[in-house]
Amino acid sequence: MTALARYTVAVPGVPSLRLHHLALILALAASWALAFLDRGNPLVVVPQGWIFDLATPLTDAMKYLAREFQIGPVRFSSITRSVGWLISQPFELLAGLLADGFTFYRQDAPPFHIPALPWIGTTGVFCLVAWWYASSRLALWTGLCFAAFAVFGLWESAMLTLASVIIAVILGGFGGVVLGIWGYRKPWLNAALQPLYDTMQTLPLFSYLVPMILFFGFGPVAALMATIVFALPPMARVTTEALHALPRSVSEFGEIAGCSPFQLTWLVRVPAARNKLLLGVNQVIMLSLAVVIVASLIGAGGLGGDVLKALKSMRMGDAMASGLAITLIAITLDRLSYAIATKRPAHTATDQPWIARHALPLGCAAILAVAILISVFVPAMHQWPDELVISLGRFGNGAVQWIGATFDTQIDAVRDTAIVYLLKPVKIFFLTVPWASFVIVIGALGWILGGWRLAMLGIAIFVAIALLGYWKKAMMSLYLVSMSVVVAMIIGTLLGLWARLSDRAERVLIAFVDVLQTLPTFVYLIPVVMLFSIGDFPAFVAIILYGIAPAIRYTSAGIRGVRLNLVEGAIMSGCSRLQLLTQVKLPLALPTILLGLNQVVMMSFGMLVITALVGTRGLEETTLVAIARVAAGDGLLAGLGIAGMAIVFDRYLKALNRKIAFHLGVPIPR
Amino acid sequence: MPDKDAETILECDAVWKIFGDGAASALRNLGPDPSDDDLKNRKLIAGVRHASLKVKKGEIFIIMGLSGSGKSTLLRCMTGLHDLTGGRVLIDGVNIADLSDRDLVELRRRKISMVFQDFALLPHLTVLGNVAFPLRVQGADRRTREEAARKMIALVGLEGRETYYPDELSGGQQQRVGIARSLTTQPEVWFLDEPFSALDPLIRQDMQSEFLRLQGLLKKTIVFVTHDFDEAVRLADRMAVMKDGRVVQIGKPEELILDPADDYVTKFTRDIPKEKVLRVRSIMTAGGTPTNDMAVPAEARLVEVAADVIAGEGHHPVLDASGALLGTLHRRDLAAYLI
Ligand SMILES: Nc1ncnc2c1ncn2[C@@H]1O[C@H](COP(=O)(O)OP(=O)(O)O)[C@@H](O)[C@H]1O
Ligand SMILES: [Mg+2]
Repeated sequence: MTALARYTVAVPGVPSLRLHHLALILALAASWALAFLDRGNPLVVVPQGWIFDLATPLTDAMKYLAREFQIGPVRFSSITRSVGWLISQPFELLAGLLADGFTFYRQDAPPFHIPALPWIGTTGVFCLVAWWYASSRLALWTGLCFAAFAVFGLWESAMLTLASVIIAVILGGFGGVVLGIWGYRKPWLNAALQPLYDTMQTLPLFSYLVPMILFFGFGPVAALMATIVFALPPMARVTTEALHALPRSVSEFGEIAGCSPFQLTWLVRVPAARNKLLLGVNQVIMLSLAVVIVASLIGAGGLGGDVLKALKSMRMGDAMASGLAITLIAITLDRLSYAIATKRPAHTATDQPWIARHALPLGCAAILAVAILISVFVPAMHQWPDELVISLGRFGNGAVQWIGATFDTQIDAVRDTAIVYLLKPVKIFFLTVPWASFVIVIGALGWILGGWRLAMLGIAIFVAIALLGYWKKAMMSLYLVSMSVVVAMIIGTLLGLWARLSDRAERVLIAFVDVLQTLPTFVYLIPVVMLFSIGDFPAFVAIILYGIAPAIRYTSAGIRGVRLNLVEGAIMSGCSRLQLLTQVKLPLALPTILLGLNQVVMMSFGMLVITALVGTRGLEETTLVAIARVAAGDGLLAGLGIAGMAIVFDRYLKALNRKIAFHLGVPIPR
Repeated sequence: MPDKDAETILECDAVWKIFGDGAASALRNLGPDPSDDDLKNRKLIAGVRHASLKVKKGEIFIIMGLSGSGKSTLLRCMTGLHDLTGGRVLIDGVNIADLSDRDLVELRRRKISMVFQDFALLPHLTVLGNVAFPLRVQGADRRTREEAARKMIALVGLEGRETYYPDELSGGQQQRVGIARSLTTQPEVWFLDEPFSALDPLIRQDMQSEFLRLQGLLKKTIVFVTHDFDEAVRLADRMAVMKDGRVVQIGKPEELILDPADDYVTKFTRDIPKEKVLRVRSIMTAGGTPTNDMAVPAEARLVEVAADVIAGEGHHPVLDASGALLGTLHRRDLAAYLI
């Protein structure tokens, strides 16, 4: 099949252009007419009598499942508890080694305590691994980060977070691979799992937490389970994709060599796909870190817990310090796992001695042995002494107060202007639009973009939101997301264009974008709360910051991707620089920029969910409140509402992108 | 050259392979020879249609045809990679469709092996690991399998590269690894699917010579797929020509050249330098009386004897390997094939 044939297929089921205009005009007219009805009309505000309370029975059902449900003679709860116990074992072991040691309580003797590994030992091991897989530069960076954790008194929390991430990634990654293999082998299963994965990946984190509390109790195990469940879908997807990408002949070779099905999977396919799988693991690590931090809400402890405690008592400096530590861990883990994923095996002589073949584990063991020996004589090398801890927090608290006192008026001015002229009017608009008008427009847009199936999806989700009684909350969420997306797109596109002007600008921006994309969502809340206190405005800023990265990246990439011969052709026909940009490059880069928009929207929804912590009032608040009230049904439905809206926007934008790419005759970017 | 009446080791009997859902019932309902239109109506594609052939022990059997003519599909039917839609494949008289999963695995471990056009090397293993892999799958211990693998690596001339990874090797070297790997289990039947097609022409020629050298040592039964008629003629003891899933002609290269079954085969044979393919035996005058004593061997290719025959006067005696007189050859006989 030629590339041309593949890309110029008509988009099936999409009505013709003139009908489109008519439909849109009709829909707009109808929704405008609805706006003249008074607020008592059932088409404007959903009447109480129409609302169906699904949340309460759902909560009851989950509670029943968690507490009383029996499979034969076995209680469901005892199954979940045993699973929890099983999973907690490796975690306890690792957390003990890295963070807090092991304590054995004895009957008539004081408890017996084995301390954790000395901090120089752990630091040394991570440095060695970084050096082995990456470079001495990364080793140095890792060493400095870890030393900073010790010196600034963040060691235990940082190690606890690290242990959670490692265990979650191992278990979630392995589970994901198994699930992915299953999906690869059974196409029908894979097809059935896709919508589930879509929902799971857009479902707000908080919605996961309530069922986890129900099944596993409040604490690190529930947090760990939530993280594992969260990590499964992306890993499964990557696995299925990686296996499908293998040349067919690799599997055929395995069969001809006489592999059993087990050997075919684990000796041939999975290792042959290892590069792609490891890149998937890199993603999963970053995702798990983000989740582990937020899961401190249900008692995960670690750095996330520290930030949360500090924020609650308004110790901004301490929150900053822990947030900084999270950032450092994120960057280190990202670079390190990326290096491991892309490391080429060096060729070693096969008849090397045993020692040389096991140099890395032996080196690690040696470092630990030496570290333990040293720490016997120099206790400060084992656990950094409390009196030497440099408290970033106290310093930071002062700095924050100083900033607040000095720039108070300016900060307030910015915030109030944005609220009065931007956020408030849009919010009022979203809250007053009759729900039926909204649904009509969504339906018409869906039909125009992708035919009646897409329209049905959009209508179904928004009608469900209305009838389940979440309309107002959903509009609060939507207004915040749409405003943030618009602003992020404008700023991001401009920055992306600027990046194309000079190589230096591009390098600086890409480095900036890289860091933005590595940070866990939670970290974004800290500076905005510091500067703008709580409410919609800090949330708005946080969402923009988080969502802007793909806007920059895709704009820059889209413009760079415009084919050179088209550009040369335009120059030869006498385009000025500005004309070249606006008439040729931007339109041709549009599909790629739109792909960026799609990502901006998805990331904004991802961040929106977390902004409930700084006091936004949309569906995300419902998911957060549900945790405290252990209202699983409410949390789940509100979460599904957000996931549903995100999926609708995703599908609509993808359909739009297909259409535009089709009209421009350019390939649909991936 | 295998014996004339060597035993058949591999047989395809009316093999059909149709791709798509419901292929088997379609073949039953549409009669013995469904047309393309009938199949298309059911969203089916025929890969192989009613192919029958026999491969004898120790010969190089080549399947030749344009791309898309069903060669790979037929090969995959022979190795059990595809389930047949109709017909039978017998290896050593056993219908492979009757084998249990375990017996099929056993057959693949002991009796057959395959070389792929795109090499299909495992990227995570070194050359040594790749070549030893088939033995590892069988559960051989490390020392045994590495010893066997080293021998094979030496056989294909890759000593010193044992610790390299596939992506550090050139295409030709990678295919040498593929060949070594397919030989570690000492298979009886060796399947090769366009093994040299991905290589540059010069390297391809080297590899062909290398392949003939190996076969001289190992004397395997070989089924070799190619779309290149030159390659087929150069390597084949016998060959089958395929078109649109059918086998249109089976025979020795000379038979195809002297007596092509249809226009399709003729098109391939037209540009072949005949003097390099034909043997004296196939163009001599059988039973004639020689008029000189400058004998020529019956199995020699024309190009090898041309100079002598042209220089000599009259009818040369043609002798077989044992020295018995088979017939005569005059330079006039030769002229038709040298222009
Ligand atoms: N797995 C498959 N599914 C559907 N059609 C196939 C499949 N494999 C091969 N075919 C079709 O069967 C025909 C023969 O293909 P193939 O045996 O690969 O040809 P060759 O090896 O001679 O180039 C082609 O038309 C091809 O499209
Ligand atoms: Mg082929």
